[in-house]
Amino acid sequence: MKQVSFFSERIKPVIIMAVITIICISLVSGIHLSTQELVIANEGLVLKKAVLYAAGVEIPSGNAEVNELYEERVEEQMDESGDVYIVYGEGGSTGGEIEAYAFIAPGPGLWGEIEMLAAFMPDLKTFAGIDFIKQNETPGLGARITEAWFKEQLRGKQPPLVMNPEGTESSASTEIDAITGASRTSDFVLSIFNEAGLRAAELEKEGM
Amino acid sequence: MASKAVKTLITPLGKENPVFVQILGICSTLAVTNKLENTIVMVLGVIFTTTLSSFTFSILRKVIPARIRMMVETLIIATYVIIVDIVLKAYMPEIWQQLGPYVGLIITNCIVMGRMEAFAASNPPGLSLIDGLASGIGYGYVLLIIAFFRELLGSGTILGFSVFGDWWTNWSIMVMAPGAFFVLAIFIWVVKGRMEE
Repeated sequence: MKQVSFFSERIKPVIIMAVITIICISLVSGIHLSTQELVIANEGLVLKKAVLYAAGVEIPSGNAEVNELYEERVEEQMDESGDVYIVYGEGGSTGGEIEAYAFIAPGPGLWGEIEMLAAFMPDLKTFAGIDFIKQNETPGLGARITEAWFKEQLRGKQPPLVMNPEGTESSASTEIDAITGASRTSDFVLSIFNEAGLRAAELEKEGM
Repeated sequence: MASKAVKTLITPLGKENPVFVQILGICSTLAVTNKLENTIVMVLGVIFTTTLSSFTFSILRKVIPARIRMMVETLIIATYVIIVDIVLKAYMPEIWQQLGPYVGLIITNCIVMGRMEAFAASNPPGLSLIDGLASGIGYGYVLLIIAFFRELLGSGTILGFSVFGDWWTNWSIMVMAPGAFFVLAIFIWVVKGRMEE
């Protein structure tokens, strides 16, 4: 039988593994660091677009314009339980009137956490609108919560809400349509909507 | 040499197709084929990973001791997959969000490691690159065919554009994982029937 030295049997594999690991980690870290700013900007942009969309402000197409509009119209305020985004009308935070109060409303989903952005009218009882920042629901079924018809139907609704089957075109102020084939997701988002209603009521108590 | 390269390129597309002959990579076949757009991105990610992983491993194959072979393979695959993940996150954030954990799961796609073990470990880098590329394409076109039918029947759309219009009732089962089993099984049945003729 061929004699294998201690070095090539025990030490060499460790050294080679360490070298390859260092090369791989350096490569991944390099790419991560070089794209980090872009990733952070993307994440910020998703939130900014969600705040503007939920408040019913028309979103410009360019990213720079979105940032500019956001700077002009939105004021971020720290609250005990998270940030509140105050959206002003034409004239911006200096001269305009408050159009909506928005905040992030998280909750469980079918496959992972759902993060919704809820915007309320100044009465803090009526939804100005909503948008989803993060969701991992089943594409084609639960993920249809991100479709325009589903999000748009929330405008002007007052939680606590109840759900009707899809296609009902619920018109009452406390009713919305669910999504066919995604009962669990519909239940999860319904509870997020209603939790958001409670949070808005708390904000009202705090004197917003 | 040239004929061997052509053979390496062609066999994974038909006779030794990773999906319908070797039945590998089924997990992602079920998971990402309910929307054509997501499938295209996933397929490109897998092609990138199989091609470069096989190529890299083949370059290193004579230096790497047998006992750490699989660890190195996994490390190389993981490196390329994370590069795909980071690039998508930076440049295509919306698709990255929709694909969710599936990009990371390319690491566990049996085709990638299977080709490294079966081919790249005993062949030169050039051929391994062709084999990786061909295996990725062989996997990819099957997924695209499945995704085409699933999105068409399940949502009535192709790449998000409405095809059937309002009269069409979506087949919900097509967008759920069991729908992929049906489409894949029918696909394998048709293709194997043809191959035997």
